[in-house]
Order: sequence, then structure tokens, then C-alpha cells
Amino acid sequence: MTYSSTLAINRQNYSKKNQNAVSFRSRERTLGPVSNTIILIVLACLLGLIYLTQVTKTNAYGEQVYSLQKQQTQLQSQYNNLEVSSAQLQSLDRVQTSDANKNLVPTSSSTTLNN
Amino acid sequence: MPMKNSNHEFNLKALGKVNLIFFFVIVFIGLFIVRLFYVQVIKYSYYKHSALIGQLEQAKIPATRGLIEAHQGNQIMPIVLNQELFTIYADPSLIKNPSTSSSKIAAILGSPSNSYEKLLSTKHSRYIILAKKITQDQSDKIIALKLPGIGSIGQDYRTYPQGDLAGQLLGFVNENGKGTYGIEQYLNKELSGTPGYLKAITDVNGVPLASSKGNIDVPPVDGSNTVLTIDIAMQKQVQDIIKKVATDVKSPLVSAVIMDPNSGAIKAMANYPSYNPAEYSKVTDSNLFNNAAVSNPIEVGSIMKVLTTTSALDQKVIKQDTKYNDPGSWLIDGFRIKNVEEDGGAGVRSMEDLLNLSLNTGATWLLMQMGNGQINKQARQAWYDYETKHFRLGQDTGIEQGYEAKGVFPQPNIAYQSDEQQNLNYANTTFGQAMTASALQMDSALSSIINGGTYYKPHLLDGTIDKSGNVTYKKPIVVSNNVVSNSTTSNIIPLLQQVVKGHYQMGFKYLNFPSNYVVGGKTGTAQIANPNGGYQDHLFNGTYIGFVGGDKPQYAIAIFVTTPTVPGYAGSYAAQPIFGSIAHMLIDESYVRPIGQ
Repeated sequence: MTYSSTLAINRQNYSKKNQNAVSFRSRERTLGPVSNTIILIVLACLLGLIYLTQVTKTNAYGEQVYSLQKQQTQLQSQYNNLEVSSAQLQSLDRVQTSDANKNLVPTSSSTTLNN
Repeated sequence: MPMKNSNHEFNLKALGKVNLIFFFVIVFIGLFIVRLFYVQVIKYSYYKHSALIGQLEQAKIPATRGLIEAHQGNQIMPIVLNQELFTIYADPSLIKNPSTSSSKIAAILGSPSNSYEKLLSTKHSRYIILAKKITQDQSDKIIALKLPGIGSIGQDYRTYPQGDLAGQLLGFVNENGKGTYGIEQYLNKELSGTPGYLKAITDVNGVPLASSKGNIDVPPVDGSNTVLTIDIAMQKQVQDIIKKVATDVKSPLVSAVIMDPNSGAIKAMANYPSYNPAEYSKVTDSNLFNNAAVSNPIEVGSIMKVLTTTSALDQKVIKQDTKYNDPGSWLIDGFRIKNVEEDGGAGVRSMEDLLNLSLNTGATWLLMQMGNGQINKQARQAWYDYETKHFRLGQDTGIEQGYEAKGVFPQPNIAYQSDEQQNLNYANTTFGQAMTASALQMDSALSSIINGGTYYKPHLLDGTIDKSGNVTYKKPIVVSNNVVSNSTTSNIIPLLQQVVKGHYQMGFKYLNFPSNYVVGGKTGTAQIANPNGGYQDHLFNGTYIGFVGGDKPQYAIAIFVTTPTVPGYAGSYAAQPIFGSIAHMLIDESYVRPIGQ
């Protein structure tokens, strides 16, 4: 079987009389209105999802910030309380009534020696 | 074609049903749209408002009030701090067993077990305060009990670790958070800071939603932390000294001021009686809130002679070694100005005698010298200029204190008074009567006399502290630098030293100071005006102004003792002992650098 006879047999399979053996089919494919709508809906959903994700994430950060601020306030309050305690422990009234002070002896008037 | 007809009828019926369903769907959607339009457009404001009530958080964020610190040797220590204290409240309608709840709370707060039972059984209110100003630890323990209807809320309060130290100088912060009296009042704006503001949409837990548009979060600007010029230990000792003397001499009011004459910085300022600012609500006499050293001007008595002598020296109408014939009394406008009996009668007197014996006739003679030998308009004007323009009496010093009083110094030319009347008034002012001044004003005037003639604005605010703890000190403010000349200062200092030595020789043995320190001063015993005219016979105020130093005066001291009960002159027996104790304290505790160091 020659190459030309092979072609002829193949053409015979789907060609009829007075019909062009070669048909041209457009390669360009277009989407219909339904597909477009579905794609738009899907895209809108995706965008919505992204928006929700970002909003949730931002709010979660907000929660973290709030929690840290609360912690900072508590620590500041603790610091203030410690500072108050420290100042109270060093107060002159406390020192005056301390055991160490009770053991001190009174001073006499001082003089300075000149060379 | 029956089949075709039947199909057609079927199609029409089906189409009718579809249309009907479609119609209902459209109607249904239409109803939704109408309803949505109603809810979202017509009732927009109502629903927005309703939603915001639950979600919108708006709050003023209070700024933390600035701390007040003071010097303790080389250190700076807080004397006024903020502490979060708690209020325990209850909703009695939720309390099931008032007795049990009361005993549990009382056990933590250290009160009798039934202290709160009556309050917890209250029927007419749903908010009862059980305890105020309790510590965080106590609050936490009470909350941990999980008693239904019991809660706590925190609030910043001023706390004073040094107790009543400098109470009147500091003032207090009232229930509305406003500084009242003292430095708290004067520096209220700087100490308060600026509150912040929060406006945000919040979630169900009240946490602001970060993604929400239009959130406003303006953080508060905390108040400035300030450092005062006072020395804590010196202040404490001055308080102790005046308390002891006030008790000994039964004085209802004693004031003392210690100033650095070379900067105007107040190192100590105290009154007795005083109060603890932490317990200001327990004070029953509101006069106790006043810092009398600043707000209570009195007729100062003979300490004024220091200013009279200085003025005459500075005007060069006398010299340090000038002597004059003292007649023992002067008759002015029908009134006789005389001295106390112990000072003797007429005679030749020196400037040293004038100050040491505290001669009223001598002070009057000095005024005469300002008017070319007689008291006249020229003398009055010259004396007035020195008192008000040089020594700045009769006007505010500008110290950082609430309710400063100016005192009074009479005008030199009053239209409705005769010349003779005014001459008499002015003669009285030369020895501290017919005028008033505060202890602070007299101390400031003395400072300008002994420091070479510079009037520094007396101040309590030494500087501010930033968040990192760095202190920015304020420079002293020079109000005037030509109060008196250097030579006047050089002349008056030895005269005042001589007064102290003279009093020591008179028997006031506590005025024995080491020779390598310079100590000078002058007593004053002032008559007290009678509300019905004239002066009271048996009541006097004691005053003292003096200085302590080495190569130059380092501390200027003013003491006012109101109506003491003493066997002698109020100046010598009530005010002078306070000066003596303070001067010894300053020397003994090395606050003063001796001569040559």
C-alpha cells in the first residue's frame, strides 16, 4: 500500500460526495454567559475569603496587642507598687524607728581642723 | 392531531405553574428588597445606633500623674508616688448569705467579722461601697473568694512614703484628681499630663477590632516627673526642731524656711502644725492646708532692721562704722517711738549697737538719713523703693506654691493721710511694724543682701525627670542683680555676725559656733495689731532671719513663731532657739563647707 492510497482510504472514512476533504475548524473557544457568571462568583468568593482571612488575622493581632497592653499595665502597676514599697522602706520615719538606729549614739558638735 | 393538542395543553399548564412559581419567587425577593430597604435605608440611623451601643467603646484614658521627688544627699528619692488602690463594692441583691460574705471579707481586710453584714443586707441599693483604698493583694484575695455580687475596681491614688514630710509644701490631690494647695496646685497642669482617648468598635469581649475603620486611639501623655530643691533629711530635721520648740513655747504656728542664697533654691520649708497629705480628708481645720511660710504674712518686727541698715548702707547715707547720738526716743505725730528698757536711754550708738540692742530709735534715725536728716517725702520714697523694688516686699515671689500672699508695704504718698501720719507709719516700718511680709519674702530679701546683691527667684522646682530617669535641672532665675552693692554685703555680714556673738555673750549659750563658720542673724519681736485699733498688750510674734556659711553664706534662714508663751522677748526666746538648732544641725551634719574648704 502506497502513501497516497493510505490517505485516500482515510479520507473515505468521513468524506462524502461533493464534500471538501479538508475542513477548517476555528481554534478560538469562548466562554458562555453561564461560565462567566460562575467564574465571577468564584472570584468574588475568593476575594471575600481573602478579605475575611486578612480581617481575621488583623483582628487576631489586635487581640494580641490588647493582651500585651493589658500585661504592660499590670506590670507597670506591679512596678509602681514595688517602687512605693521601696520608698516606704527607705522612709526617714522607718529608719528612725529601726533597730539599727536605736543602737546609734548621739553626735557631739563637730569642729574642723585647719592646717 | 389529538396528540399534538394534548402536548400543547400540557406545555401551557406547565408554563403556567412555572410562571406562578416565578411570580412568587419575584414577590418573595421583592419583599426581601423592600424589607432590606426599610431596614438599611429608612431605619439606617436607628439600627446603626443600636449596633454601636453594643460595639462602640469610647473612653477617656487617664494620664498618669507625675511623681514628685526630692534630694537625699546625692540621691534623688520619690516623696510622692502613685499607687493603684482598690474599692470593694457589692450588689446586695446578689448576696445570698450576708453574714458569711461579711466574715470572709473582714478576715482579709482585718476588720471585725460582722463589719460588712449590715451593708450587704441593704435592700434599697444595688451598689454599696464596702471598703476604699485597699491594696492589690487584698483585692485579689477578695476576688478569689468568688463571692456573688462582690467586685473591685482600681484607681490611682497619691501615696506619701515619707508620711507628713513637707505636707503643706506638697499639697494634695482631691477626689476629682485636681491638685489642691502647695506644689500640687501650682504645678497641677504639668503634673496632670494630657488624657488619651479611645474610640473603637469592639468584639464581644470588649477588645477593639483592629480592622475597624475609624478607630481612634490617642495615647495619654503622662504628667512630668519633677524634682524639688528640698533636702529630705534637712526638711525632716527642721520639722522636728520646730515641732519641739512650738510645743515648748506653746505657739499655735511656727514657720521655718532654709534657702540657698546663691540660687534661690529652697532647701527646707516647714510649718507646725502640719498634716499628712495622705489623710487630708481627716483635717478639720482648713487653715492647716496653707503653707504659712508663704501665705501668712505678719508684721515682722525688728528683723526689718537688717533691711533698714542695709538700705542706708547701700544709699551711702551711713557707713559700717558710723556712730550717732541716740536721744532715746523720737516724737512723731504725737506718738513717741522708743526702745525697750534694757537698751538704756540716750547715748552715742554705733551700727553694731543699733542691731545688737535692736534700737527702734536707731532704725528711725536711719530713715531720717535717707531724707537728709529728717523723715520726709524723700526719705519715705527712698525707703519704699528699697523695700518694694530692691527687696521686693509687697509682691509675690512667684514660688511654686498655691495661695501665696503678697503682704503689705504702705505707699510713700497717701493723699488722705497727713505728712506727719505717713512719717509715723514709715518710722514704724523701719522696725517691722505697720507692714507685713511672709517668712519666704524675708528670707529672699536676706539672701539678696548676703549674696552680693542678686535677687534670685525663690523656687522649689529643681528640674524634671524623663522616662529614662535623666534629670534636666532648671537654671536659677535672676530677678534683679543690683539689689545692693558688693561693698554693702561686705559691710552688713560682719554686723550680723556681731549680733550673734553679742547674744551669745548675753547668755544665749547655744549660739556657740565653731570659728571656722560664719553665722549671723537678727531677732525680731513684733507687736500684733488689735482688730479694734492699736496693738495688743500681751501678745507678740517672734521672728528671726540669719545665715550660716563658710567663705560665703550658704544658707539663709527665716523663722516666724506666732504668739509664743515665753518668759522674755519672743524673738530671743522662741525664734532664736530654732535658728540656733537649725544652724547647729547644718554645721554638725556637714551641710556647710567651713572657711577655707
